[in-house]
This record gives sequence, structure tokens and C-alpha cells, in this order.
Amino acid sequence: MTEQAMRPQFMGARVKRVEDPRLLTGQARYLDDIDLPGMLEVAFVRSPYPAARIMGMDLTAVKSAPGVRAVLTFEDCPILLWQKDSYQVGQPVLAHNEVRYVGEPVVAVVAEDRYQAEDAAELAVVHYEPMEPVLDMVQSIAELPRRVHAHAGNVFYHKEYTTQGFSEAFSQATRHLTATFRTTRQTAVTMEPRGTAAMPDPASGRMTVYASTQSPHRIRGDLAELLGWAENQIRVIVPEVGGGFGMKANTYPEDVVVVWAARHLGKPVKWVSDRTESLLTDVHARDDIHEVEVAYQENGRIVAIRDHLMADGGAYPAYPFSGAVGETSLASRVLPGPYQIPYIETVIDCTYSNKTPLGAYRGVWGPIASFVQEGIVDRVARSLGRDPVEVRRVNMIRPDQFPFRNAAGMIYDAGSYGESMEEALRLVGYKDFRARQSALREQGKYRGIGISVFVEPTAMASSEAGSIGYESVFIRVEPTGKVTAAMGLGPTGQGHETTMAQLIADQVGVNLEDIVILHGDTDSAPFGGGTGGSRSGPIGGGAALVAGREMRQRLVKLAAHQLEAAEEDIELGHGQAWVAGVPDRAMTIRQLAEIAYTHVKRIPPGMPIGLELLARYRPEQSVSFSNGTHIAEVEVDPLTGLVQVLNYVVVNDCGRLINPLIVEGQIHGGVAQGIGSAFLESLRYGDDGQLMTTSLSDYLLPEATDVPRITIKHLVTPSAGEGGIKGMGEGSLIGAPTALVGAVSDALAPFHVMVDRLPVTPDDVIEWITARE
Amino acid sequence: MNSRVPLKLTVNGETFDIEVEPRWLLSDVLRHQLGLVGTHVGCEQGACGACTVLIDGKPERSCLTFAIQVEGQQITTVEGLTRDENLTPLQEAFSEHHALQCGYCTPGMLLTATALLRLEPHPNERQVREALSGNVCRCTGYQFIVDAILAVAGDTKEDAR
Amino acid sequence: MKPAAFEYRRVTTVAEAVKLLRETPDAKIIAGGQSLVPLMNFRLTRPSLLVDVNGVKALQHVGWDGAYLRIGSLVRHQQIADHAEIQKHFPVLTVAAKHIGHWAIRNRGTIGGSLAHADPASEWSAATVTLQAEIDVEGPQGIHMVPASEFFLGYYSTVVQPDELIVAVRIPYPKFRIGFAEMARRRGDFALAGAYVEDAGNGEGFVTWFGVADKPVRVPTLLPDNMETRREAWQQALETLAIADDSKPRLHLAVQMAERAWQHSRFDGARYLSEEAGGNQPL
Repeated sequence: MTEQAMRPQFMGARVKRVEDPRLLTGQARYLDDIDLPGMLEVAFVRSPYPAARIMGMDLTAVKSAPGVRAVLTFEDCPILLWQKDSYQVGQPVLAHNEVRYVGEPVVAVVAEDRYQAEDAAELAVVHYEPMEPVLDMVQSIAELPRRVHAHAGNVFYHKEYTTQGFSEAFSQATRHLTATFRTTRQTAVTMEPRGTAAMPDPASGRMTVYASTQSPHRIRGDLAELLGWAENQIRVIVPEVGGGFGMKANTYPEDVVVVWAARHLGKPVKWVSDRTESLLTDVHARDDIHEVEVAYQENGRIVAIRDHLMADGGAYPAYPFSGAVGETSLASRVLPGPYQIPYIETVIDCTYSNKTPLGAYRGVWGPIASFVQEGIVDRVARSLGRDPVEVRRVNMIRPDQFPFRNAAGMIYDAGSYGESMEEALRLVGYKDFRARQSALREQGKYRGIGISVFVEPTAMASSEAGSIGYESVFIRVEPTGKVTAAMGLGPTGQGHETTMAQLIADQVGVNLEDIVILHGDTDSAPFGGGTGGSRSGPIGGGAALVAGREMRQRLVKLAAHQLEAAEEDIELGHGQAWVAGVPDRAMTIRQLAEIAYTHVKRIPPGMPIGLELLARYRPEQSVSFSNGTHIAEVEVDPLTGLVQVLNYVVVNDCGRLINPLIVEGQIHGGVAQGIGSAFLESLRYGDDGQLMTTSLSDYLLPEATDVPRITIKHLVTPSAGEGGIKGMGEGSLIGAPTALVGAVSDALAPFHVMVDRLPVTPDDVIEWITARE
Repeated sequence: MNSRVPLKLTVNGETFDIEVEPRWLLSDVLRHQLGLVGTHVGCEQGACGACTVLIDGKPERSCLTFAIQVEGQQITTVEGLTRDENLTPLQEAFSEHHALQCGYCTPGMLLTATALLRLEPHPNERQVREALSGNVCRCTGYQFIVDAILAVAGDTKEDAR
Repeated sequence: MKPAAFEYRRVTTVAEAVKLLRETPDAKIIAGGQSLVPLMNFRLTRPSLLVDVNGVKALQHVGWDGAYLRIGSLVRHQQIADHAEIQKHFPVLTVAAKHIGHWAIRNRGTIGGSLAHADPASEWSAATVTLQAEIDVEGPQGIHMVPASEFFLGYYSTVVQPDELIVAVRIPYPKFRIGFAEMARRRGDFALAGAYVEDAGNGEGFVTWFGVADKPVRVPTLLPDNMETRREAWQQALETLAIADDSKPRLHLAVQMAERAWQHSRFDGARYLSEEAGGNQPL
């Protein structure tokens, strides 16, 4: 029994999720399922122009339309999403004098239901004087054709970094190549659109805000700051959230308007984005260019990389996290990936344009940097006529080099870089692939393999979910022995109610079903950073372990006193405490809880009444790197340009696993999103600045018939942090697009194709193949 | 024109007497008039499948149908799959195989899969993927959903579902 | 995204529907609604009256009408895909039906609705032109038959007048072997290019593209045995059309789809409905 109790029973087990029953029976409640008596709904009048002056408005017809309760403009609600000390520009929550992207909210119409709100919004007359839009990133850097914001330059973030000795190393290398990598705008497309509701609480006078967000405390803080209210006058409740992927980490103009309207109308108010609004106004991502020069040796050793990173940040810095800055700054620091490339020189330029603001989408910088990193390796291999695997082996960081300081100064903790690649190569059958490949080419079939060895910085001190490097857990063993723990995380499908309970159950010695994890309510949860940047597992999970362990110590002390045994002899498990080796000398946790709360005279001296405590956990390392390798085998149809994924292998190392089932689900989902990123998804703007992909028939998401079966193998290199856990939410989308388009480059090598863009479309493939005709 | 008209709607075997505007989408009426919020809305143009319900046993988009059109027809929503406290074998398999993450697409997936298994009790993987191709999931990459459906198909006798 | 207000009438006869259409000029027929309702949700169309014909029994049948197969306008895509008689005599329609949208869309969308909507990428529009079908249109003056070749006017535009509706499609028994192929980015998407090819067996035939020009046009073509000369024939046939997107990839796709459709036309029986020919899509 002792043996059994010492070994974690729940951590590492493929446990079914406690969230599932309510989700499977339609009993879960998402934001739009919140319906309060008298609730009003909002529709926004949005800018039809990418850039225009607002010369005047006539809203009389709107105001007198049936069911309309309020019509709001910037004059009513003069609030800027202003980032103190960061940028000179803040987005007005409703356009002020000028519109700067198509879809920017201009007027808010509050009516009795959404149908009426939309009827009335149509009646708004806004006089615009269109201006020439700024649409090209490179031109924007040169302030062409004009400034997006008259009082601020278009380049809103510029940074340079050079490893000492770069120039000598670069010029001394025997071989050089240049390449430009371009990623096209994509966005998260959560199945549940964004939304916010707010209800003034008549009893307390406080405001209850229902938000579909990843970061409950952050949005509470933002609202308090922007509206000038005291933080404790706002309660944020996050209902079930139907996906976040970084996109729901921001505070948006609509959030502020809804809360403002609820306060000023004294009524519950709700706004839920429709899909067109989502594609227009959810933060976009991945609008980047990398202009790269590489210096390397005949043996394939890469010596130095120079990279000019550019990102189109859109019309305003997304609040409070600009995706353009996030994508470029971290990309510049993790650019060498798993390779020991000693010198880098980077220049970053983030610019404004008349497009939707750029924010976070799962992996943020990662899918871009990984595409550049592996694209460089593949180009080096091809230019030398060497096998891409060989060039990877030559450059790979060796296990004896950890902790490894990369050329940009990032410290990698231990990982399984080379091992993950070798294992993935074995699983995919690389040894005889080249023979197969050339035989098939003879028959006009174009198969290729793409290799993506990725590193994933997780549990960072700051991320899009907030800039706190810790998490907190308030844990209570209830008087009946059940366990309740509250956290400030913002799960959007990751299953924290299960994984956090697994960690706590092992420590406290109760069963999973005895634990309830509370989250998403700022009244019950201790201050937390929320979910984003692959931090919930390592930091939140670490906090759960610490809280569980501290509670365990309390229970042990209490049990030792009752059972008249030494504390070190007390075991906990299955809802019981007992003396090691004497299972008959036992008490239930429930009995201990009764003592702690009721028969308090029996509490040992010096021990507090009750079983409640708050624990915080801040990892000592400022970042912990997960790693892995994705390999895709694809066949490209030269007639249609379509790419079929035939085989997909992932070897993943995220330290110790809390729940392999959940980890694998995350990986599958990331690979599927990678297929979208590689082949399907693209937010296209016309030359007139109109977004042309405003529905899900234009913005194509991967379907069940597009995603192959995925083989996963786990390697375990524990982190130095609590539980040895590393984050893993983003790695799969960091690795996947690169593996997929790398496979296209490999398949189309006979046509001298080396993919330089994400996504790759059938038109691209046909262009490349027919280029020589 | 936006005056309400009476409607008798049969959902999950129960008949409701309500008043609707002709323009109200079936998805909106199920959700906001009947409180059956298990039917989710993801695009309102038939592209995502989140709002899929069964109409006379066939999967259809509740966002592309006006409630007023389906008087006299049998509507089944996710709430109608479970008659008692227990999960159906399909729902059980979804949980067992971790076939859901955020849960937003799940009701549509369940209804499509339920209809598929009635039509074809032992589908192969290709048939399952084809049937699900109109239901977008952004979280799971589909593999565990497919596994769950195949597991149920393998487990059940011809008439069990 | 909510539709603008409208009045709603359910009818049980075509005559009733025609009467309502005549009385209300901006009225629209709703059948499956799979094209109409998205347009209404986007408020790109806003009829003041919707005339629901789902209860008109006369429009719901598939059957023989002399030498013609008559498909009522209210027959759903999935019914066509599942219809044994159609599979036996017009396997090309079975294959085409399975390429329309997704299962849930096929369960509700109708052939009449597709033809009336006249999306240039519609499988049905091109099928009727290929098979030289007649489309029965009923209005205040009664039923008149329109040859499919004269039915489509261009993008989303047909000869059907505001006070008329499609009641049936009548398809003659095919004279030639017919093949079908299309290329879409994903299952269920509208085709970037698709084609029906008829092979008369004498080195000549016809090709009808969809998703390529503003409407389907049946173009006579040579069908030489040699692949290179056949490719030239496809290109010549293409040049007779008003091409919507004449970028190189699109022209390439149009040629490839014609070629693929021609290859499928050479398949027989079960092979015609096989995965290879795109016909073995389950459901």
C-alpha cells in the first residue's frame, strides 16, 4: 500500500475529463448561452473603408428604429485602448474622426434583440472621405504612401541585435545564400466566436462581466483601468469558452463598449460576434517577412544568420499585446532553433497599416521562425547536394551542451533534440524513403518528406496571457473532505479541471471525483495570469502541485496528531490517512476535515483552524524549452496542385506528462491547424484594402477529410521546475506547417521548388510546375 | 412584417407552442426561445456544422432553416440524445477517446455521427471522415473523434443504436 | 448576421406559388434554402415575402416521363445520390451529386434551387447542359420547357422570371459515354474547375466546364487518342469560352479536369462509381 501511495496515481494517467459530461449533453454554458431578463444586444456599425475621414453621421433613423435603446459613438464613450509607455497610439473603442481598417467599430447600436439591432445598424448614415490606404509592409516602413497615424511614424517597433564577432564570422564562411520568407495573414478562428456580456448587479452596485477570454484577471484589470473604475467593482466570469488559441487573450474595443453600455443603461447588455465580424476584427496573425542571409561551410555547418524581420501590425497595436512585436521579437531570439548556430544579426521593424490589428495565434512567433529556421537548413542542404537529415545532424545541439546559450542569449534547458529527430526518422521509415521517392518519380508521382525539429519556449515570465511569471491556487479541503481549488487560469478546451485535479489528487490523497477546480471567476480565484504561451501546465500545474503538497503537510500533521504517530510515518491516499505498515490505524480525510473545522480542540498546537491555504508558484527558470520533431510525408498532385498528407509522425518532448490523452489531443489539433496554416488558411486583402475572406467559404479551415492520422511518440526530458512539467500547447503548431511545406519542397525538388511562403496553394504549385513550360 | 406568428415546434419528442418572427432561424429559436442552447452557432452560413440538428432523422443546418419551416417535423438536438442521466454509448466513447476539447463543435458532431451510425452501423474510417467533413473542429484534429465513432461502431450490434 | 424581416407563406400547389409571386414582385421561392438563406443572413438579398414550396408534393418525385428522366425541382441532392434508378442509368449524376456540399447540405438542398441560383460552379447546372436536359418552368401562362443550353444567362442569372419557378428537370437518355471530374480545395467546396466530357466514340465529343466561365457551355471538341493533341483540343475548346479567371493555374486546371473527366468516361459499371472516378464517396 505504501508503494502504491508514493507513486503518483493520477499524474501521467490517461484520465477521462471531468468536463466532458456537460459538454456532451448540451448542458455547458458558453457566452451566448447567458440570457438574463431584460438583456439588450449590440450590433456594431463598422467601417467599410480601410482608411477614411469621418465627415459626419446621421443616426436619427437608427435611434428611432424599433427596439433601439441606445446608439453610441466615440463622443459617448471616449475611451482609447492606450498602452501606457509602449506606443504613441491607442485604438478608440469607437472610431474617432478617422477609420483605419475595414471592420473597425464606428457606432454601437443597443437594442432589444440582435435582429432589431442589426435592422437599426443598417440605417446609420456615416459620411466618409476615403484616403489612400497603407497596405504594403515594406512601403509602410518607408512611410509610403503616407502615415497611418498622422502623429506617429509607421514603424512602431524597431530593434537590432548582433552577436559579438558576427561580421568576421559571416565574411569568413566559404558559402553564402539569401532567401526571403513570407507568411500570409491567418487567424485563430475559434469555433465559438468572441463575445462579452455585462450586468450591473443591483444589490452590490458592482458590474458582473461575462467574457469569453483566456485571461480573466487581465481583462478585469484592463476594464478597470480603461473605464477608471476600481478593480473590486468588477467581477469577471468566464463561462465555457469554445476555443481561444491566443486570439481571446486580448481586450477588444467591443468588450469596453458593452461594459460601458451596461453601466450607463443600467441593463444587462450582450454582444456576440458573428463570423464575418470575427474574420474582420478578431486579431489577425502571421503577417511577416524575413529577409535572410546565411553563411555556412562546405560541411553544412551553419555559421551565421542575418535576418531582417518585418511584421505588419495592422492599424493599431492590439491591446495589450501587439502580435507584430510578439511574433518578431521572440522569433529573433529563437531563430537558431535546435541548431548550434553561433552568430546571428537581426533587425526588427513592426509597422502600421490599414489592416486589422495583429495579435496572437497559437505559437505566435513559432510557426514563422521554425519555417525560416528549417527553410535555411533545407536550402543549405540542397545547395551542397547533401541529405537534409545530414545537415541537421551536423548542426544539432548535442545533449552534453545543455544548458545551451543560443546566439541571441536564450538559455535552453535540457531537451532531446537529436534523439527526437532520429526517432521520428525511424517511425516514418526514412531509411528507404529516398529509394521509394525516386522510384515513384519515375512514375510521375511526387512524394516528399519534410522535417521540422522545433523548440518551444514555454512557461515564460511574460506571454500574451499576461506578464506575470507565477500562478496561484487557493485550495480548501471542505468540512466533508471534498477538495475545492480555485485558479486564475483561463482554459478554452485544454481540460484544466481534469489535469489540475490529477495533480492535486495525488498530493492530497483523494480521488479525482472528490475534487472541483474552479476557474474563470475573479471573485473566487486568486490573482492569476490566465492561459496562453503554454504556461498553464508548467506554471499553473506547478502551483497546483505546491498547493496540494502544502495541504498534504497539513493533513499529515493533523493525522499524526490523531493517530499518535510520527509525521513521517503517515501515508495519504484514496481518501484516507494511515500509519505506514499499519493500515488499520487509519482515518478518513473526511474525519480529519471534521476535526479541522468542527472539533477544533483536537487540532495540534500551532496549527491553524480549517484546511484552507493559498499557494503560489514561480518557476526559478524564466523559460523552459519543450522540443520535438514533426515529419510529414506528402504527395503533390502536379495536375491539380493539391497536396495529400500520407503519413505524419510527431515525436514530442514536453517533460513529464500530466495526462497523455490530453497532450495527444493538443498535438493532433496543432497539426490540423498546421495543415490549415500550410495549405488552406489565408486572409487576403484586395488592392483597395478590403478583406476578401470574410466567411468560412473563403477562409478555409481543415476538415476531417484533410487531416491524416497522426503517429505520436513521447520522449520525457523533465524540466527543473515543479513536477518536471514543460508546456506544450503551441509546439505542434510551431512544428507542423514547416514539416508540411518542407515536404512540398522535397517532393517538387525536380522542379527546383523551395517553398518560400505560407500557405502554399494549388495555384502556387501549378505555377511552379508549369513555370518551365 | 416582423410581427410574430404562432408555431408548433416538435423538438426531442416534445411539442412547444411558441410565437416566432418568420425570419428567426431555427438555431436562434431552439437556443433563445426554447433554451436548448446545446445547439451552437458558428457561422450562420452552413459552413461550420456547429448548428447541425436532426430534422426527421437527417442531419441538417439549423442556421439555414427558418423555424417556421419545420412545423410538423421531428427535430432532434443534442439535448434529445440523452433521455436519462446516462451518456449514450457514442457520448461515452467521445469521453473515453478524448474526442472533444472546447466542446463547441461537439453537439453537431454527435448528431452527425448518430445519423451516420443509424444509416451505416459499421462505417469504415473513410466513411466516418466523409460524414464529418461538414463539421469543423478547430481543437482535436479529428483523429480522436473518428476513433470514438469507429469504437462505437465496432462495439454495437446492428440494431443497438 | 440576421436576415431582414419578411412575410412567409407555405403553399401546397405550384399555382398558389405562382399567384403569390405575381402579387409580390420581390417575393422569392424557398425550397432547400441552402443558397438563399446564407444570402439572406448576410443581407445580400432581402425578399419581402418567402414562398415555401417544400409542401408541394408535385415537385418531389423522380420518375420516367417517356424517354426522359424527370426529376422534380424539390428533389434533394442526397436523394439523387442515393437513387438506384439514377445510379443505374445516369451514374454521372450519382457521382456529381456526391460532390455537392456536405451531407447536411445535400439533405436539404434541392436540384431546382441549385439551378435557380445558377452558381457558375454548380455541378447541376453543368449537368443539365451536358445532358441536354429540359428545364420545366411554370409561371402565370403555365409550364414552358427551356433547353438547358438557353436556361443560364450568366453569373447567378437565368431566364426564370420573378413570377415563375422551376418545377422539374427532364433529362433524355444519354447518347454518349460521359465522364465527370472536378477540383475543389476541400471536400464540399465549390469547384475551382470541373468538367463533364462526352465521348461519341468517333474521335469527337463535347466538353462542358463549370467554375470556369460565367455559365456552363457545351463545347464540341475533338478527342484524339494522343494525349498531347487531346490537350491542344481542350485548350482550343477553352478558347471559345468567356473565361472568368484566365490565370495560368486556372486554365491548367480546366484542361486537367477535362482530361480527367474524359478518362473517367472510359470507365464502365462499378469502376465508374469507384473511388478512382470520384464516385465512391460514401453517403
